[in-house]
Amino acid sequence: MLREYTCIICPNGCEIKVRADGEEVLSIEGALCPKGREYVTQEMTDPQRNIASSVLVKNGELPLASVRLSQRIPKDRIFDVMKEIKKVKLEAPVKAGQVAIHDVLGLGSDVIVTKNVGAI
Amino acid sequence: MAVQQKDVVIVGGGPAGLAAAVELYRRGIRNILILEREKSLGGILRQCIHDGFGLERFRQTLSGPEYAQRFIDEVEELKIPYRVDTTVIDISKDKTVRAVSPQGVLECRTKAVILAMGCRERTRGALGIPGTRPSGVYTAGVAQSYINLNNKMVGREAVILGSGDIGMIMARRLTLEGAKVKAVFEIQPYPSGLPRNIEQCLNDYGVPLYLSHTVTRIRGRSRLEGVTVAQVDEKRNPIPGTERDYSCDTLILSVGLIPENELSLVTGVRLDSRTKGAVVDENCQTNVKGVFAAGNVLQVHDLVDFVSKEAERMADAAARYLSDSSLEECGLDVKADENIAYTVPQKISGEKNFVLSLRVKRPMKNCSIRISQSGEVKKTVKMKKALPAVMIQIPVQKDDLNERENLEVSVTC
Amino acid sequence: MKNMARQFDVLIIGAGVVGCAVAREMARHQLRIGVLEKEMDVAYGSSGRNSGVLHGGFTYKTGSLKAQCCVEGNQEFDRVAKELDVPFRRSGKVVVGFNEKDMASLRRFQARGEANGVRGLEIVDQKRLRELDPSAGGEFAMYSPNSGILDPMAYTIALAENARLNGVDFFFDQRVTGIERTDGVYAVKTERDVFRTRWIVNCAGLYSGAVSAMLGIDGYVIRGFKGEYIVLDKKAGAFINMPVYPAPNEKGGFATHAVPTVNGNVLIGPDSYMTDDFEDYGVTQEHIDGLIRDGEKMFSHVKREYFIRNFSGIRAKRVDPETGEVLDFVCEARDEAPHTINLVGIESPGLTSALPLARRAVSLMAEREGLKPNPDFDPARKAVRRFNGSAPAEQGKLIAEDPDYGEIVCRCENVTKAEILAAIHNPLGTCTVASVKNRTRATMGRCQGGYCETRIVRMIEEEKKKKVTEILYSRKNSYLFTGKVRG
Repeated sequence: MLREYTCIICPNGCEIKVRADGEEVLSIEGALCPKGREYVTQEMTDPQRNIASSVLVKNGELPLASVRLSQRIPKDRIFDVMKEIKKVKLEAPVKAGQVAIHDVLGLGSDVIVTKNVGAI
Repeated sequence: MAVQQKDVVIVGGGPAGLAAAVELYRRGIRNILILEREKSLGGILRQCIHDGFGLERFRQTLSGPEYAQRFIDEVEELKIPYRVDTTVIDISKDKTVRAVSPQGVLECRTKAVILAMGCRERTRGALGIPGTRPSGVYTAGVAQSYINLNNKMVGREAVILGSGDIGMIMARRLTLEGAKVKAVFEIQPYPSGLPRNIEQCLNDYGVPLYLSHTVTRIRGRSRLEGVTVAQVDEKRNPIPGTERDYSCDTLILSVGLIPENELSLVTGVRLDSRTKGAVVDENCQTNVKGVFAAGNVLQVHDLVDFVSKEAERMADAAARYLSDSSLEECGLDVKADENIAYTVPQKISGEKNFVLSLRVKRPMKNCSIRISQSGEVKKTVKMKKALPAVMIQIPVQKDDLNERENLEVSVTC
Repeated sequence: MKNMARQFDVLIIGAGVVGCAVAREMARHQLRIGVLEKEMDVAYGSSGRNSGVLHGGFTYKTGSLKAQCCVEGNQEFDRVAKELDVPFRRSGKVVVGFNEKDMASLRRFQARGEANGVRGLEIVDQKRLRELDPSAGGEFAMYSPNSGILDPMAYTIALAENARLNGVDFFFDQRVTGIERTDGVYAVKTERDVFRTRWIVNCAGLYSGAVSAMLGIDGYVIRGFKGEYIVLDKKAGAFINMPVYPAPNEKGGFATHAVPTVNGNVLIGPDSYMTDDFEDYGVTQEHIDGLIRDGEKMFSHVKREYFIRNFSGIRAKRVDPETGEVLDFVCEARDEAPHTINLVGIESPGLTSALPLARRAVSLMAEREGLKPNPDFDPARKAVRRFNGSAPAEQGKLIAEDPDYGEIVCRCENVTKAEILAAIHNPLGTCTVASVKNRTRATMGRCQGGYCETRIVRMIEEEKKKKVTEILYSRKNSYLFTGKVRG
């Protein structure tokens, strides 16, 4: 079986061809770096993604603080994680790097704030 | 207010302006002033909350705000002077900068000006899309600003015109916030944005991408109700009979970025009609001595890491300009063949190493980029894949060239 | 105040330029005056969608109301513009020709113009034409020195604000659905309310025929003639001095022309095709292409890179139901509809004729009822001071007096926070993004609101304490947002 992937790790977007026999990987071609090989191996078994979103900030100079995940999480849990993100209400001041949700849904990733928001 | 004397005035406190400021400081320049029209520094990065920034520069995948904060922190630490909520409204030919803020009118006579104003989005009006004028039609950047900075959701059911990166990023953003993105339509026969964005923004969320399609009509008397989409031929003309209606309450336009050079024109800066940015030499200096440009205002970038590098190279040159009062003459033209959309810089000296930026006009596989002088190939770069969406940067050594002849850049596959 | 019947002496239906002019002229007398408008602001219809030309008056039948009102309105406009503090330039106009048929047409209309009392009309050769306007197409032209250009939106708003200053009430989102008369009082039903009034003035433009029928005066046929326009960047404006029109056809109708606006842009248009749908303001591809083709004959800089946007307008022409011939203005007070003034079929030169028509409407009322002058009436109205176009020293002063003049919100047109705030808090009480745009020019530049719209929306939200879903673009249901992203 031959499958093609576009790697999303870096802007190169290498087109990587994977030859597999059932679960056994026979060859990986087209990756310019080891991260690409890691990516497709992961993608074949358990695709993972990072997402970015926003959380509400009370009494802040801005109404929202942007957040992202500290680690990738399984692709099929994205909307579950979004549900948790939507519940968050932070109180200003908020600092980039601050943890908004620790180990969200036990998936091994924090939801971290990526923007400073001062208090009004 | 009295007229202030400056060594460098930087117009724009986004990634290009910030990187330039820090680099100038490192080169010993102190009398700097950054002028930023928003209420805080950071530029467009403030609203780009997705990751992918800084992969090259910091070996990390940061969000836009985080990337910007690295530079803002340095500016603060080095106490580089800046003013926010200040809009530059004029730059005269003799480099007097006039700006306006709630504190009054500010006038600076400066030795050097750095243009770092970024770009604006191509509008529905400029495209002349037929139909009515309901609410619900947004350019992608404006929709992004509403959602990410202003806590306002723009709609529930969207169609996106243009497969530029911002459009695809917004497809994902809208979907994550519960909207239904019905499709992305792209007028060219190939995508405008990065392949990884097609993967992680469209394919991941089941949003179909239709190439060679465009919106031919907008419907709705008050709020958008739907759009008509048609297939286009090689000349980009709608093919009659291929029209399909899509009901939607939101149309997102991601149909091009235009370097914001209205101020530059006032100063007498000559623009390149291909980039819509200034014609510059290898020092990023424009035709007006002491006026430099970098970042999106010079050429629309896809990676902010390259913007920072370009701004730093420019700042090095600007620092030399300030100490020597001039820079080397760049009398050689850089010419591009018909496969290349544009090259920056447009002029070189042939006496210095420089970085050549270029984009191909259409996707090419297994191609060779050749840099020649009078037909003699001086440098060849082979690429497995070259896309219009991905800027190509080639370092050129001065030892490869002579200082007498124009440069010819060609791509063949 | 909802569903409570409100009592007026005069109710004006329609807040276009004619309705607002009538309101203003009526306010010179001691009367309780109200204006009912179906949209969210003044000038949504024909009044805000035209070439912005102060006509000379040479194409209308001698002795007609169109001719009389146009010449009167043209002559007084320097004073009117000063009184109401609206931009106006008596630019002159050239009507160009290419062949003998055109020349015959120009001479015919020159004669008619002179008979109408229009001064200064002269036929000029190509050399003189090029002196008057270097980019104009044409071999020769008729030059009308008294024609001019104005901002129709600014003018209508100024009339309305002056009326408001003098006590007139404006009611928006009030589409009239029916009119009944009981015991000498009219009950004017709208979609949301009932208003009671002794007099009604019909200024409903495209709907003047329908409203006339509601008054009991049947038989007026209004045909909608739609025309599309292209707006060109101010860079194109540098190449044109005055309106350039092609020689008129036998009926005095003009095809696509090129007009500089008083703000520095250029309008190319309008073309002309019939429409039954009086609220379809869409623009179409074939018409845009036609405008480019015809516009290039009048003006040599119709370039794609100058395109800012397109829009359309619909002209309400009163026609003879049998022959289709376009007829004169109607400005009447009929016995079968007591205490009404009926203005029907006001199309071009409606802008130029607005105040003359308004004065005639007041006279018609005065003939039937004693009117007492309003001693507090003030004809003057001052516009909000604009940062853009002010001299640098003046700009510094403005900011010193009000720091909000130092915050530029619309970068393309240099519109400041002070002006946006004044527009949000305008005397008429209306507040949409379009109402801010029409009062300040914000969002009208190259980037079409790409930078300023988010800021204007935020200011509307804060100043008017609106919920996110209540912020409108222009019409009643033109909501911009479906809710907050969070919270």
